[in-house]
Order: sequence, then structure tokens, then C-alpha cells
Amino acid sequence: MKRTAFRVSGKVILYVVLTFASIVMAFPLFWMIATSLKTLQEANSPQIIWFPSKIQFDAYIAVLADPDFLRSYFNSCFYAALALVGTLISIAAVAYAFSRVEWPGRDLVFFLMLSTMMIPAQALIVPQYVFFHRLGWIGSFNPLVIPGYFAGGAAMVFLLRQSMAQIPKEMDESAFVDGANHLQIWWEIVLPLVKAPLATVATFLFIGYWNNLLGPLIYTQSSKMYTLPVYVAQLLNINNPTQPWPTIMAAAVLTTVPLMVVFFFAQRYILESVVITGLKG
Amino acid sequence: MTENPYYYTLIMACATVGFIILSSLLLGGLARLIAKLFGLTKVKQDNTFAGYFFAAPWIVGFLIFVVAPMLASLYWSFTNYRIPNAPEWLWFQNYTRLILEDKEFRSSLVNTLFLTVIGLPLQISFALFLAVLLNQKTRGERVFRMSFYLPVILGFNAAVLLCWRLMLNAGNGIINQIIRALSNGFLPFSYLNRAIIFIVELVNAFFLGINNQNFILLNKVWEAGFPAANRVPMWVQTPLWSKMSVIILMVWGCGSMMLIFLAGLNNIPKELHEAAEVDGAGSWMRFWKISLPLLTPYIFYNTVVGMIAALQIFEPIYVLYRDNATLAPTAYSMVYYLWRATFRFNEIGYGSAISWVVLVLILIVTIIQFRLQKRWVQYELY
Repeated sequence: MKRTAFRVSGKVILYVVLTFASIVMAFPLFWMIATSLKTLQEANSPQIIWFPSKIQFDAYIAVLADPDFLRSYFNSCFYAALALVGTLISIAAVAYAFSRVEWPGRDLVFFLMLSTMMIPAQALIVPQYVFFHRLGWIGSFNPLVIPGYFAGGAAMVFLLRQSMAQIPKEMDESAFVDGANHLQIWWEIVLPLVKAPLATVATFLFIGYWNNLLGPLIYTQSSKMYTLPVYVAQLLNINNPTQPWPTIMAAAVLTTVPLMVVFFFAQRYILESVVITGLKG
Repeated sequence: MTENPYYYTLIMACATVGFIILSSLLLGGLARLIAKLFGLTKVKQDNTFAGYFFAAPWIVGFLIFVVAPMLASLYWSFTNYRIPNAPEWLWFQNYTRLILEDKEFRSSLVNTLFLTVIGLPLQISFALFLAVLLNQKTRGERVFRMSFYLPVILGFNAAVLLCWRLMLNAGNGIINQIIRALSNGFLPFSYLNRAIIFIVELVNAFFLGINNQNFILLNKVWEAGFPAANRVPMWVQTPLWSKMSVIILMVWGCGSMMLIFLAGLNNIPKELHEAAEVDGAGSWMRFWKISLPLLTPYIFYNTVVGMIAALQIFEPIYVLYRDNATLAPTAYSMVYYLWRATFRFNEIGYGSAISWVVLVLILIVTIIQFRLQKRWVQYELY
């Protein structure tokens, strides 16, 4: 009897702790949304105001009326979409070479690729900046988009390669007999079979591009080319006596909506693949 | 045509695709030719072509965006290259200036050390704590797991970091408001809060002392004694607290580490726990004697990755301290300093030297970790 009571209370404590931890982890999200719906007085109030007394959409109206915000939203979508397509296709091609084709030097090249994961991308920004400077690409979206086209992201190639390697060899062998070439097998047989891993890779890439702050800071030099993170970060101006927090948080909510949507639909695959690749973020 | 940045980038993207296809064909053809010279069969020649053709985007990109930049930056790190001036050879001047004279670089080193020694253990233990909780196989596990991982997705976005800045506001930020309310309503919490403040300020004053090479601040904190009842943490306000905000963000974003630990816990054979339970070991005992030793490889992995990540923290520091010139150096990571030092005056030569120091440091850290690993990582029990 005593033992079961102990078990039950243990379970209750476990649920309480888990729920409390979840609330703490998700709290910034709640606070962001709550603040965006408050008045300026409520947002800067010295008392705790959990919920706005009357829901205000003024901040959203102000943000959506700001042409700078809309332009940076478009910039983010434009560059993320363009970079995503090229990166995804090139990664799919390289993963195919590493998993479905036997060629001399494959293991060496694969090892090289894995070892580049040790090099932090930021250690290369200085010489890459000079390279883009000489091409005359500073102040354009090119440095943010083009590098991805060369199968940017070794971890992603690795993730996709692991999935492609699991497809039975007979699939492409029978296609070979029917006279198909590698390009057809890649596009028509292999890629449709790895749709879920492709979606996972696309999600990771999207999140990376959408959150990217350092790249746009370095390469987009005029405010007309700001992407969302750069635009949102400069909304906070320490010289203002009071910060327009509802407006800033409304812009922040609109910035995170795409991330939330993507995470909601892809969370199962994301959580699984983090363990496969052991990658960060 | 180049007036419109969108068309310009679209055209360049198409040109890049053309360039990649062309270089793929060239590389594939070259590989096939070599295969033919070595007398491989027709099928093997075709496979060689296909392999290099498909792998070419990465190979070409590796040469253009990794090998060439690394070699170029190695050369520039010995020069005073500053766009648009031509580089002049300096020998080791950049490196001596960086290591011996540069105060801000030294603070970025000390900050990284602080984040590794104080922040990383907190982050790893919190991740382990969450993983053990989730491993109890509760109902709704997926929802909990989602909310624990969510910060990793959001945590690097400037928008969410701005919300943290709002919450961490020392005056009327929600975190300090909650701390004040709890301190006023519940006396033990007030003492706990003040004890934590005292410890944090002493530790931070010590690290700032290492950085400034004098311990005046540490003495002051010590002489001020136990904090008064109305004290709250001064998150984004003083050098004593600037690094703590970054650590809070690190701990909040521990979701990836948690998933790694969760995988590790799943890999522990059930029989071990069952056998120990039969022998009368409680769950606390089993955690220390079975789970924790078998998790050491995962702790090791998270430590290596976490240390390298601590060197590279950028977004949080940019959003929290961008506009605060006095506070920022007390929280700089090495990558943040690299960005600032290089792009303020386009000092390519100096920036290249910093990049190489960062690279070598990462290499050294990893090698040391792998050496030490043999001492404490257990791949099997007994």
C-alpha cells in the first residue's frame, strides 16, 4: 500500500516539475506575444501585468504600416528562398555521390568533408569577405545566397547521405538495366524515396538562413537590404527615453511566426535527426 | 540591370548554377580520363564520371570557399592588409600585438573561459536534468520534448533575443519583478536570492580581476558584504552581471544537448537497471552508479561541442550589448571580437590573425579533450 502511494506521489511530482520546466522554457514566447498586445504604459509598468487588460492591435498595425519592416520581411523571404533551393539541390546531388555511386577517392573526399565540420564558419568570414569584395559583391545578396549553392553544410550532406544509403541497391540496379542513367535515377528514383529527410534538411537550412545575423550584418550595407534580424535588432535604440516595446515585440512575433510554423510541422523529424547527426541548432 | 538587387542576385544565382554544371562536367570528364589511363573497365569509368560529377559542387565549393580563403588568410595574417590598401609584410607583428597588447582580445579570452568554466557545467547539468525527466516515459512526452527543444530553434533569432532583453531589464523586467515579488513574500527565497547574488558577484569580480590584472573590484564586493534585502540581479546593467545573461541564454538553449543525453539514456540496457532494482538499489543510487557512468561519452561529446560553441556566441551579445560600449567588452565572445575588430576598420590582416588563433585554439581544445577523455569516459561498466 505504502509503496503505491509513494509511486503515485512521485508521478505527480514528475508531472509538476515537467510542466513547470515547459512553462519556463516557453515563457519568452508567451511574454513576447503578451507584450505585443499591451499598451505602452502596460509594457513599461513597474508592476507585473501578465495579460493586457484590453487586447491592443495598435502595435501590429504600426509595424505592418512600416515600409522598412515590410521590405526587410521581403528581403528575408527572398534570400532565404533563393538560397534554400540551391543549397537543397546541391546537397542532394552530393549526398547521392557519397551514397549511391562507387568511385575512386570517395572515402577520402567524404572524410575531408566530415573534417570541415570542425572548422567554424566564422573563422572563414574574413578571407571570404575579401573574396566577395574583389568580385564587387559587397552590398548585394550574392554573398548570402551563392555559397550555399556549393553544397553548404557538411552536416546536412551527412544527414541526407545516411538516409540515401539505406535504400536497397536493387532499386537503381534494375533501373540501370532498363537503360536509365545516373541523373534519372537520382531525380526520379532516389529523391522521391528520401522526401522526409529532404524536408528535414530543408527545415534546418531555412531556420539557419532565417536566423542568420552575422552574414547580413557584414554584407548588406544599406538599410534597404536589411534582413529581418538586422532590422529587428536596430528597433531598440538605447537613446530613446522609453522603448516602444509593444511595437518591437509585434515585429518580433511576426519574425518568429515562420519559424514556429516550420517547427510545428517538422518537429518530429527535427528531433530525430538531431540525434543522428549530433549537430547543434 | 544591377540597380535592382533582387534581379541582380537572381541572375548571379543562375550564372552560379551554370558554373557549377560546367565545372561538374569538367571534373567528371577529367576523372573519367584518368580512370581510362589507369585501365579501368567501362562501367567503372562511368561510375567515376558520375561520382565526381555529383560530388563536384562540394569539391569546387571546398576549394573556393574553404581552402583558398584559409591559405589567403594565413598569408594576410602576416601583413597589414587593410582594404583598400595593398598588403605589406609584417612578420609576426599581428600575432604579438594580439597576444601581448590587445586588451579586448584578452577579455574575449577570459569571457570564453568564464562561459566554459561556469556556464557550460550549468548548461550540461540542466540538459541532463531535463533528459532524465523526459526519460521517465510520461504521457505527453512529445509535447514536453517540443517545448524543451523550442529555444534552440528560436534562440538564435534576434527577435526572440530582444524579448530576453526586455525580460532581463534590471528595473522593471519581468524576471526581476518576479524575484522581487518572491523575495517580499517568502523570506527564505530572499536569503537564497541574496546568497546567489553575492556568489555571482564575487565570481564575476574575480574573473574581471584576472582580466584587468587587479582585484580592486573583488575587494569592493567583498567589503560591501552580504547584499541588502532589496537587491536584485543587475542583468544587462553592470559588468558583474553581463556574462550571466549570456549564461541564462545558454542554459535556456540546451535542447540539443538534452536530445543527445536522451539518446544516451535510451541506449542503456534495461537489464542493468532491472538487475540493480532486484538487488535493492533505489532510483537515486541507480542514476549515480549506472546511468551517469554510462553517459560519460555523451557528457564528453557535449563538453567538446559546448566549448566550441562558447567561442562562437554571437547573436546574444549583439542584441544585448550592441549599443553599450562599456559593457560589451565584458561579455565579448572570440567570434564577436573577431567581427568587431575586423569590420570596424576593415582590418583584414589583423582579422586573419584572430581567425587563425581561434582555429588553433579550437584544435588545441579538442585535442586536450580527447586526451583527457581516456581518464574519465567509460564506454562500459566494469
